[in-house]
Amino acid sequence: MKQSFVFSGSGGQGIMSAGIMLAYAAIDEAKHATYLPEYGPEQRGGSAKCTVIISDGDIISPLTKKCDNLICMNEQAYRKFSDDLKPGGLLVLNSSRIKNEEVRDDVRVLSIPVDDIALELGNVKVANIVLIGALIGATDIVSKDVFVKSLEEKFKSKKPEILEMNINALNKGIELAK
Amino acid sequence: MEKRFMKGCEAIAEAAVRGGCRFFAGYPITPQNEIPEYLSWRLPEVGGAFVQGESEVASINMVYGAAATGKRALTSSSGPGISLKAEGISYLASAQLPAVIVNISRGGPGLGSIQPAQSDYLQATKALGHGGFRAMVFAPATLQEAVDLTYNAWDYAERYRNPVMILMDGCLGAIMEEVELPEMKNSNPEDIEDWCLDRIGDRTDSHMITPILPEPALELLNKGKAMQYKMWEMLDTKVEEFMLEDAEYVVVAYGIAARVAKEAILRLREEGYKVGMVRPITLYPFPKASLNNLDYTKVKGVIDIEMTIPAQMREDIELQVKDRCPVHEYGRSGGMLLDDEGVYEAIAEIVKGGE
Repeated sequence: MKQSFVFSGSGGQGIMSAGIMLAYAAIDEAKHATYLPEYGPEQRGGSAKCTVIISDGDIISPLTKKCDNLICMNEQAYRKFSDDLKPGGLLVLNSSRIKNEEVRDDVRVLSIPVDDIALELGNVKVANIVLIGALIGATDIVSKDVFVKSLEEKFKSKKPEILEMNINALNKGIELAK
Repeated sequence: MEKRFMKGCEAIAEAAVRGGCRFFAGYPITPQNEIPEYLSWRLPEVGGAFVQGESEVASINMVYGAAATGKRALTSSSGPGISLKAEGISYLASAQLPAVIVNISRGGPGLGSIQPAQSDYLQATKALGHGGFRAMVFAPATLQEAVDLTYNAWDYAERYRNPVMILMDGCLGAIMEEVELPEMKNSNPEDIEDWCLDRIGDRTDSHMITPILPEPALELLNKGKAMQYKMWEMLDTKVEEFMLEDAEYVVVAYGIAARVAKEAILRLREEGYKVGMVRPITLYPFPKASLNNLDYTKVKGVIDIEMTIPAQMREDIELQVKDRCPVHEYGRSGGMLLDDEGVYEAIAEIVKGGE
């Protein structure tokens, strides 16, 4: 099985790291993965997008026009990329920032206020982890345990509270998607 | 073998270190900055030297100096930066110095775009600098291939005492995928005592490396090189031939374009269309035989797919096809990417239209 994910938003929202973390988790599960970032000259605030393809077999082309799962972190990203989602695909929207958009009716929509949830948990930076939780909850693309292991690895040199906050964010995302 | 999930630029940089590279000089430019960034900490770890030059021109000349002393030297850049290095690359060729130059190419011409493109084929294969010389050009399509080609690039550079280019577009530079990394190679190349300035060996005479030669000597050098280029063609041409046996249409594509095209070919095969592909891995020497020897009683068309407009490989293809069938082209350019749908539709239109 092959699944493509497009993460979109603006620089600083953790788009790129969400994509990389998902790809790493897939590799840890002995699947194949490619990660392709696309961004402009800006570091912060500019458009940010990355494509992750996860497959049980070899991935021939890392470039794909239509994706199976589209994640939009703000309105600008939704407007720019909503046509790239295949009909019947999964659309994950950050409803903390996407409020007044008319949303496509031929796809499965998951609206989650990831920024608000992250703030409640203690830091807006974990918004992308809530997002990954939602993807794991909705698609089973990687197992929760494997992702928790990669979080443990990533935050092993940081304070234990930081890991805890990330795991809470993951759980919250999974819970809301189910 | 060690497996890692790596970014293209970083995979190349690590493969270079493992291939024996101990000197890097370069000047920043997107989309290849991860190569110098990686080497800035990695080279000192293995006793190598990393220099961020004050310019591209300074960097390529530092590479010239390092190569003259027998160090495995590398520089990397993207389109506009490679243009600036052109003079130095020509000097390397004239002084018969081995070095590796990586071009992670982006949209052009001019300053162009920082987004990926395959817009430097002609520069790489026909004239990397003034004066009429050639360099081997390796064009990987996957990160594993990029690792393997970079790892062995100095072996070619030293064997032929000539610069070698790795040409890869910004997509492959930025993408992450899993690679197997080879063992660390000996960084002290053998069989270079007779020319290199750092090792005397049994030599007693004084020695000089120079890009300035008297006319008869320069002509002799050029004659020797002309023979060498023929030899590359016979010995070192690398190509992937994919589903050619019964092909009625043959796609020619390299690097990222070949990956996108392969997906389209598999889809067309499922629909019953006989499409195959020639994927040059060495752009120079160009895999002439793969195209010249196609069975043109069967082949109805050749389709050149590149992430640049107009297609740059087309003349090389036409020289082998020799009007035995039509040659078509499809591409995107300026930093606009090829994608599976677009490439499928372009090939399908030609293939299905020919029925």
